Amino acid sequence: MAETVARQKERKERLEDILVVDCDVHVHESPEAIMPYCEMPWRKALETIKDVQEFYLDIPGFSPGTTVYEARFPSGQEGTRMVHTADQMRRELDEMHVDMGVLFPDHFLKLPVISQVDYASALARAYNAWLLAEWCSPERGLLGCILACPQDPEDAAREIEKYAAEPGMVGVFLPCAGLERLWGHRQYDPIYEAAQEANLPVLMHSVTVIHPVFPFNTHGFETEFGRHICSHTFSMMANIVHMITTGVPVRYPRLKVAVTEAGISWVPFLMHKMDREYVERRREVPFLQDKPSTYLKKMYFATQPVEEPDNLSDVVTMMSLYDGENNTIFASDWPHHDFDHPSKVHQIPFTNEVRRKVFGENALRLFNIDSGGNRLNL
Amino acid sequence: MAHKEKKEREEHTVGAITEFPEGTHKVVKVGRREIGIFNVGGKLFGLPNLCPHQTGPLCEGKPALGTLVANAEGNWKFEWVHEGEIVACPWHGLEYHVPTGRCVAYPNISLRSYEVVAEGGKVKVRL
Repeated sequence: MAETVARQKERKERLEDILVVDCDVHVHESPEAIMPYCEMPWRKALETIKDVQEFYLDIPGFSPGTTVYEARFPSGQEGTRMVHTADQMRRELDEMHVDMGVLFPDHFLKLPVISQVDYASALARAYNAWLLAEWCSPERGLLGCILACPQDPEDAAREIEKYAAEPGMVGVFLPCAGLERLWGHRQYDPIYEAAQEANLPVLMHSVTVIHPVFPFNTHGFETEFGRHICSHTFSMMANIVHMITTGVPVRYPRLKVAVTEAGISWVPFLMHKMDREYVERRREVPFLQDKPSTYLKKMYFATQPVEEPDNLSDVVTMMSLYDGENNTIFASDWPHHDFDHPSKVHQIPFTNEVRRKVFGENALRLFNIDSGGNRLNL
Repeated sequence: MAHKEKKEREEHTVGAITEFPEGTHKVVKVGRREIGIFNVGGKLFGLPNLCPHQTGPLCEGKPALGTLVANAEGNWKFEWVHEGEIVACPWHGLEYHVPTGRCVAYPNISLRSYEVVAEGGKVKVRL
């Protein structure tokens, strides 16, 4: 008797029933908010600017606004949403069915452009203390990242050591915008060392800035449209290329690396570009034990801003090109102007199993946490 | 046997005309639907409060504005047009021309247009 197995199409799990770890949400640090946590004399500088009118991610002497060199027309888009308190964040994440959010800064996405080194590291120290005191809470599903100030890697390493055992900190944030030197440069080794020792992943996050260093030297574009297209993703690619080609993944083999806000469609491009280069130029990177894509594929990639082809199954295809089922992680980028509502990623025709991985299970592995947000490596 | 000539339309009163001043818009609930009622130069229009992009609350943002266009006829010069007729979704700014429901960036996408009338001092949506 012929066996006929009626293969039923599985019913799609509801977003509300899936564990959602949002790997990229933004707190709003202001001069006034972090002042109490900032040591002198730098606290004086924050006092001076605390009443200065804030444009969006643009406060002189705090986060140099470099993004608007064009006519400003009125817009109906709410492009300047901010989250000021942990309560507000928790409420707004609840509205999106997000269980846990991983916290990044607003203004300090641009920290690398601050040329005064001691001020930059003081801001980072103040931010970390403020974040831990006023935001981080595994019980509430709000998990912080230690801000590593690239201008002062030794101090950044000390910050990582200081917070390494905090249940509320689950990663190290590497600012990737407006860097003088891309991540991968040997000067940053103390940061990788400290993160690896602390068993904390590093998370790379950029922002659109204009800075005279590749790939941030985007002043040639007439529009934010152009600058934004060539911002996050280009920064991630440049930084990753530098990290791989200076051997960071082999010198720090236990270090987990995650990439944010670059979407995912570029990953196959970079894989193949690097592997082709490896054929000709292996001798320039002899420390690599395997072709470069091997190391890229071990990194984690956040979905936002998710690609939106007419046929959403193309996203599934793109992910398969880098075997991304186990290392693609959902992120919303709430409350920023180009955030993804989880319902959009939910629409992608994954199987239930893969959808659960993308929405939460892969992030649990990246951060080494359980489904309650508790670190498993303390 | 009498047939209905056309399907009878439901009419829902959603408020007094004074609640919908010119140049403003407001979301009302009609059954389970959320509809944004717009008063553009004295004319009333209704659009779904749902952006097809990522399900954003299309009609909960700032008042309708104009927008920029450029075309061959204008020699590619930027022109500010449709003053008061363009609503942008507060989430990602996707623009829609209120009187036609047409998406400016993707002209093949048109939102459903609800018939909205003012009668006897009341604003009514006809479904």
